[in-house]
Amino acid sequence: MIKKARKLGRGVAIVGAGMSKFGTFRGMSGRDLVVEAFKEMRASVDKGFDPNDIEALYVGNLSSDLFEGQAHTAPIIADWLGMIPKPATRIEDACASSGVALREGIIAIASGLYDIVLVAGVEKMTDLPTERVTDTLAAAADAIYELPAGFTFPGLYAAIATAHMKKYGTKIEHFMKVAIKNHDNGALNPKAQFNSSIRDIMASRMKKAEERGQPVPAWRDEMDFLNDPQANPIIAWPMRLFDCSPITDGAACILLAAEEIAKNFTDNPIYIIGAGQASDVALHQREDLTSITAAKVAAQQAYEMAGVKPQDIQIAEVHDCFTIAEIVATEDLGFFNPGEAPKAVEDGIMARDGAKPINTSGGLKSKGHPVGASGAGQVVEIWSQMRGEAGARQVRGKDITLALTHNVGATGGTCVVHIYERR
Amino acid sequence: MTIEKTEKKRIPLKEGLFDIEKGRLTGSKCPQCGQYFFPKRHVCLNCFHRDLEDVDLSTRGKIDTYTISRMVLPGSVMKEAPYGIALVLLPEGAIVQTVLTDCDVESISIGMEVELVIRKVEEDEEGNEVMAYFFRPVKGGSS
Ligand SMILES: [Zn+2]
Repeated sequence: MIKKARKLGRGVAIVGAGMSKFGTFRGMSGRDLVVEAFKEMRASVDKGFDPNDIEALYVGNLSSDLFEGQAHTAPIIADWLGMIPKPATRIEDACASSGVALREGIIAIASGLYDIVLVAGVEKMTDLPTERVTDTLAAAADAIYELPAGFTFPGLYAAIATAHMKKYGTKIEHFMKVAIKNHDNGALNPKAQFNSSIRDIMASRMKKAEERGQPVPAWRDEMDFLNDPQANPIIAWPMRLFDCSPITDGAACILLAAEEIAKNFTDNPIYIIGAGQASDVALHQREDLTSITAAKVAAQQAYEMAGVKPQDIQIAEVHDCFTIAEIVATEDLGFFNPGEAPKAVEDGIMARDGAKPINTSGGLKSKGHPVGASGAGQVVEIWSQMRGEAGARQVRGKDITLALTHNVGATGGTCVVHIYERR
Repeated sequence: MTIEKTEKKRIPLKEGLFDIEKGRLTGSKCPQCGQYFFPKRHVCLNCFHRDLEDVDLSTRGKIDTYTISRMVLPGSVMKEAPYGIALVLLPEGAIVQTVLTDCDVESISIGMEVELVIRKVEEDEEGNEVMAYFFRPVKGGSS
């Protein structure tokens, strides 16, 4: 096999980014959510721009077909945005769809074909009952082999968690601490589906019980609440309800421009200096379940292209579809040695005021996980944080010039990593 | 005139995973590097050799990792939760993803010895018996 250093044909920058609120929106279609995200993105472009200048659209979406009964969704979204007859392409790589759509947009500009590209991610999930959502998501697993064996996504990630516990002595409490941290961040994010800390959730449940004249649960603290099987039932051991990301509607939009024209849009563009993507075999064929090889390979590619090391990255949004996934991600990205992420969570290193803030947006866990939009949503957070526009959850005391996103499809069949620089 | 004789046929839930008559899972062996795989595949993951041979796999193995599912997925062979799901390591090195049956979910542990069971899960509209594979703890095996 030929091994060569990869580089972009020319520089690419983000000049605008925005997202819809993530949550449950009855009566709104996926395309409506994209319009909402587009409007916010448009408002974020400091010097303004003419939407007619956009040359192509790349949409990340897992399954508008099954969730909304709508295939061929990219040109419909282009129509809704007033982009006809510009080319519109849908990218599907499960939950990594819009991370990969971003990559395709970058490649298209780097190739010289376009100067201005719109990347969108969207999923409208809540029109289906929960069982059918699980069913639809499960279609991203190996339908011939994994599904009859009863492996749901919680099941597959639970198997990873069990292996991590056995190999490194990771405790259930570590998973809970990831959930508490991400909810603390999400509580400060007005776009988050769960815009509340675990403490807020406890207080509101106690209040509700009191109002209904029911016995008021006596939880001492968050850990006590999360250990209560009534409040936090087991889904697939050791993953409980609060270890899982929710079912979410949402969309996000990113405007990309060639580096040489980026300053026409803003004096403060965010440059994409590293990009990596890799694939992997099904879970059972992997030598080690405590890490995701595609993430390591994608990260390696991105670090090499950017010429930076894991220690240089100041903040990151990683794919925490389950709490164990955040632990594995931060190890795969080289932020921590294998087996040491649980201690890092415990020591508050990944907290917003820690040495390596992870998922300041609240992550998929608290912000929500509209699968096809999640990767693009991560980029919106990085854009805000790097430009100092993240409001109450802005990371303090750091001039953020280097950041990273990590977006995973299913259990790591796909992983896509990007590195961002502010100059 | 003849009356066609019908009899209940046993058919697999998914083709190609196991041989009902032999009671064995069907895997692949790489003739170049000797690696085993389940399910059957076309290309060796280890050396990328392309003509793998079909082989019958061992019926016993050890649990490599597992979880206990508290929910039932439509299309799963299990109709009631909770149930154990495991990755089982066979002596030849292939790993099988499987549902665990005939066991107390609280007793499942990494390293536990388990054996293959091929059993009827339902009857289809033509009255055929639809068969699927499971693993269960070996009585008196190490756990
Ligand atoms: Zn081989």
